[in-house]
Amino acid sequence: MKRFFAYLSVLGSVAVFLISCQSQQQNVIRIGAAGPMTGDQSKMGIDLRNSVELAVAEWNQQGGVLGKKIEMLAGDDQADPKQAVSVANKFINQKVVAVVGHWNSSCSIPTSKYYSDANIVMISPATTNPQFTLQGLKKVFRVCGTDDQQGRIAAAFVLKTLRPKRIAVIHDKTAYGQGLADYFQKALGNGAEVVYYGGIVQRDPDYKAVLTAIKEKKPEVYFFGGIYPEAGRLVRQAKEVGLSIPMITGDGVYDPTFVNIAGKAAEGTYVTFGKDPAGLTTARSFNEKYKKVYGEPGPYSIYAYDAANVILNAIKATGSTDATTVAEYIAKSTFQGAFGDISFDKNGDVTKAPYVVWQVRDGKFTEVK
Amino acid sequence: MFVQQLINGLALGAVYALIALGYTMVYGILHLINFAHGEVYMLGAYLGIIVMGLFTLVGLPAYSLPLTLFLTILISMAFCALYGAAIERFAYRPLRAAAKLAPLISAVGVSIILQNVVMLTQGTEYKNLPPLLPSEGFDLLGANVSPVQAFILSSSIVLMLILHFFVAKTRLGKAMRATSQDRVMAGLLGININQVISITFMIGSSLAAAAGVMVTLYYGVVHFFMGYLAGIKAFTAAVLGGIGSIPGAMLGGFMLGLIENFGASYISSVYKDAFAFLILIITLILRPSGLLGQKAMDKV
Repeated sequence: MKRFFAYLSVLGSVAVFLISCQSQQQNVIRIGAAGPMTGDQSKMGIDLRNSVELAVAEWNQQGGVLGKKIEMLAGDDQADPKQAVSVANKFINQKVVAVVGHWNSSCSIPTSKYYSDANIVMISPATTNPQFTLQGLKKVFRVCGTDDQQGRIAAAFVLKTLRPKRIAVIHDKTAYGQGLADYFQKALGNGAEVVYYGGIVQRDPDYKAVLTAIKEKKPEVYFFGGIYPEAGRLVRQAKEVGLSIPMITGDGVYDPTFVNIAGKAAEGTYVTFGKDPAGLTTARSFNEKYKKVYGEPGPYSIYAYDAANVILNAIKATGSTDATTVAEYIAKSTFQGAFGDISFDKNGDVTKAPYVVWQVRDGKFTEVK
Repeated sequence: MFVQQLINGLALGAVYALIALGYTMVYGILHLINFAHGEVYMLGAYLGIIVMGLFTLVGLPAYSLPLTLFLTILISMAFCALYGAAIERFAYRPLRAAAKLAPLISAVGVSIILQNVVMLTQGTEYKNLPPLLPSEGFDLLGANVSPVQAFILSSSIVLMLILHFFVAKTRLGKAMRATSQDRVMAGLLGININQVISITFMIGSSLAAAAGVMVTLYYGVVHFFMGYLAGIKAFTAAVLGGIGSIPGAMLGGFMLGLIENFGASYISSVYKDAFAFLILIITLILRPSGLLGQKAMDKV
């Protein structure tokens, strides 16, 4: 009998706990922020989290949304697809309404199905692999461009400005890196000959072997699909094996950390990325607000901020936290973001995503006019 | 391209060889695979970046770069020698009489502790060191030998020569060889076993620290997890050469570096890590005691 009461009391306390969770959940609206917050790409995830936190704090200052406070939950996926799925499951258990994230394409694509099945809106500020929005999921959006757009612009720039006959193409074997490299190669068409195509291992410290093999093929420029830690090591070691041709790469390399890793070897590297937002008044005011709390904003900070605001505005406008309703509203509306007007096409991509080419000059990214 | 890959491979191999020496020496004396050894190498790399940062603050590199490098390596080696001795004293010595598996588990534990201590105190981000040496070096048969590569190759060969003479010619070296052949007998003949074991750990750890500083100069990045893969690669090198044999570890290290580089350049860069382990498996099938593992008398 004693044991029975012990069970009963345990059951009772669990029930009380569950009820209190339930009631707590009704008082707040939870938004997830997911990205790599530890590891070598941690700066990107932390930038993302900071921006969502900033947006949420601003909304809460004005009384939240639908009369409830907004709570941000951060999830660290370590840029690893397996971790990303466990972050997604955690968010689903915590009953988040929407997620801003993930950062890496290789994390966003597998998690998008989980979120959609669990009736959660997902807006990625940085996932550029086209596949992400081509899965027919109605609650999945992105506020950045795609790699086929990016690959086309990079290829057009290379063919028009650099005019090489021979090009080498390498990638980091991720959904983002390999995807981007393939779109770039496709967009080149017959404009130049690809004399080397290969993958490198992420987190490997030594790329001299592959760089020497590239040098042997005598290309005039090489394209890299990947993220800044690897890109930094590549350009640094390229100089050491005597490969002094420019690298052209994608948005994953657009961060000052790239220059920190590579030092002077970074000079002359071309990067495709969105237009400089500094011309916009709204973007400037975002930068100031961000700087006050977190320091210098990162390349994707403003995208994450806009993504969070799109979600919260849609919740406010529809008066609902139901993902289907919110997603339908997002799909057909135009939002005023810090980075300009945002509207989505039938897939969930932004209707305008202008990429421009940047170049590292004197240690800074400068738009190539 | 062949010459360039040869130089790249030798530079990488020198680093593997320096770390492998620590594995092989400890195994020679204690028959213990010191799984914390990769972590000592990581500590050496961190110490290198910290010491170099301090030197930069006082403006030493501008005064004399060779002196800065020399002092950095020396300080990092000294610190890691102490770490090595302390690890042996607190994690392995109390277990020396225990079953063989107990110190092995202790080694894995030390490895996890060191990784996490560095992660908590230094953060999870990669730490970068801007290039100190120029990247253009001298030309050798059409290949560019960068100053860092020349530095790694020359200083690691000097360290290996010093080690060789120490083991072959000095009294302490003789004591080490005796201990590796028969620990009990050496003790009965008046050799201070504990001291010899401590010194073995100190030498192995300081060589790993030197490798850590060299890698920091070479790649310019350190992070708390770097010891794991480097440790496994160096262990592979030690086994490839014949664990317990000092010349074997050197040979194994250089071979591993060359195999990785040639495999990555001529076959596929995607499977770079796989080549090293493939060769290991083949070697172990054909020569289970490693390339130079036969000469049991020479093991230290």
